[in-house]
Amino acid sequence: MATVQATATRATLDARPTRPAWVRSLWSFARTYPYLLPAIVFFVGWQVLPIVSAARLSFTDDRFLDQLSANFIGLDNYRRVIRDELFWRGVLRAFTFTCIFVPGMILIPMLIAVLLDRVENGFLSTFYRIVLLIPSMIPAPLIIILWVWLYNNYIGPINFILVDVLGIYDIRSQPQWLVDPKLTFLSIAVMEWWWGLGYHTMFFLAGLAAIPKDLFAAARIDGASEWRMFWSITWFRLLPIILVLMVVRFGSAMAVIDEYIIAGGFDRSRSTYTWTVYMYDTAFGGGDQFRGYAAAIGWVGALMMLIVVCFMFWLFRSRD
Amino acid sequence: MATSNVAPSFQGSPVSQRSVREIADAWQPRRSIRWGLIARHSILMLFSLSVLLPLAWVVIRSLVSLPDGTQNEILPQNWVSPLFEHYQWVLEKRPDVRANFWNSVLVACLTVVASTITAVLGGYALVHLPTPFKGVISAALVASLFFPTRVTAITGIFEIQDRLGFINKTWALVFPYTALNVAICIFIMRGVFQGVSSEILQAAHVDGASSLRTLIGIVLPIIKNGVVVVIIVSFVAAWGEFLLALTLMNDADQRTLPVFIGTVTGGVGGLLWPRIAALYIMAILPGLVVFAVAQRWYTKGLQEGALKA
Repeated sequence: MATVQATATRATLDARPTRPAWVRSLWSFARTYPYLLPAIVFFVGWQVLPIVSAARLSFTDDRFLDQLSANFIGLDNYRRVIRDELFWRGVLRAFTFTCIFVPGMILIPMLIAVLLDRVENGFLSTFYRIVLLIPSMIPAPLIIILWVWLYNNYIGPINFILVDVLGIYDIRSQPQWLVDPKLTFLSIAVMEWWWGLGYHTMFFLAGLAAIPKDLFAAARIDGASEWRMFWSITWFRLLPIILVLMVVRFGSAMAVIDEYIIAGGFDRSRSTYTWTVYMYDTAFGGGDQFRGYAAAIGWVGALMMLIVVCFMFWLFRSRD
Repeated sequence: MATSNVAPSFQGSPVSQRSVREIADAWQPRRSIRWGLIARHSILMLFSLSVLLPLAWVVIRSLVSLPDGTQNEILPQNWVSPLFEHYQWVLEKRPDVRANFWNSVLVACLTVVASTITAVLGGYALVHLPTPFKGVISAALVASLFFPTRVTAITGIFEIQDRLGFINKTWALVFPYTALNVAICIFIMRGVFQGVSSEILQAAHVDGASSLRTLIGIVLPIIKNGVVVVIIVSFVAAWGEFLLALTLMNDADQRTLPVFIGTVTGGVGGLLWPRIAALYIMAILPGLVVFAVAQRWYTKGLQEGALKA
């Protein structure tokens, strides 16, 4: 009897969704998509559409200030970008910055995290964490402005210490941190490291917390040195975080723009005039604001970055 | 000496448990000076100082007298009197700066509200609801993180805001700002929601609670630390955004504070240095206050899964 009843219930349960499949899937859409609606509106409206609109613009000769309607000119803008020496110089400048910036943005926070993870004193541990997180609470443009002042020749404390206190340089030989092409990117990288210190340390601390402590205990019993333990345990456990951060930071470093505009303006001769600044200058700066060409610059830059990011993902794919 | 905590087996012996432990500790091999400990703390202290000193320098700058403001000495010959005169001056004598400050407050608050609601609802749907095409949506959001949207999309964003009549309207910055935050905030919330066991939600479902009721009544109190992380992340991003605010606003009184500070020049012809420094402190203070208040939940929220993203 009991089994009969069970099969009967089973049958009614199976029979219940006799409504057609499309009704059921429509119902599950209707029940869940209202939650995603705001995300979709913002994401499509102000991320996907602008990108598509920039793509459309890049095939036209749209100049914002000439009051004429835009004409479709095919791939002309792209042909011009590929032959544009200023664009390639800008890409090279951005790449130089990326090569200086990314290793430091990963290795310094990793060092701090490894040191901080060992601090046993609860008060000091919290103190370091909070202090290191302070810069990440300051918005990026305000960080740049702060460092532009620190690097300043007239009021900046860095050159004050180097020139007036230590006397290493005199007024003529003092480092021109943001002007000297050899120093500019290093100066901006230092500023970005300062900003990202605490935030990136948090990533590594989360990674370190996930390593089982008995691995270290076992290694210590086997007589492994601290150095050995770092390379054979910690490094491998942190590697996934390092690789993800490398890809993410490559993406943000190649597309830096606020920093360059605030620190260097729109001066083509300065090393801060990268492809992003060139794009912005073309679209919103002087001349007749050739938006069509600017959109093409943006798209060529974005496509090159995407290719490198895909290559990095392929390189770092998990080989298990 | 210690009478109460003498171990039974040591009766009659003068050695208490405590001193046994002390002796055991003393026997452990220990370097005479713990160089490792000293090196660790000096490196960490060095980095902490490198964070604090530049900020201390700006605070000092905002308190020096105007003639000292043009010098590069770190400590001034004269402090300004009254001490907070520059702050007062910026607030009272520059109505345009005050307008820019309130513009920033307005945009930041709108963006925080919009981003938080979007991220909580979206993360919930992506983790705990039987949403169709979860994978596609997550993939699109991930892809957007690796696309230089801020640069490539800016001509398109201008066009869209222009068409909607939003150029020169400060409050309308909330749309592109929330859009820039949406992927990262949803990922933070997704990580946090994954830490909530689905059994709790199933129990609520069996009790007949709707999915929205479950979210508000049961899940929200559990994930409040993660919500704090999203609030802080979106606040900092919106409070300091520069490029879009610069591009989409034409009039000086529609601009936000970072654009004002970023484009003002110190010295002759602009604001005097100590006054800009005072303005700067006022600009970074809201973020630091929010952090100081929410710091405990923030670090907890980061550990609860916000960093998995």
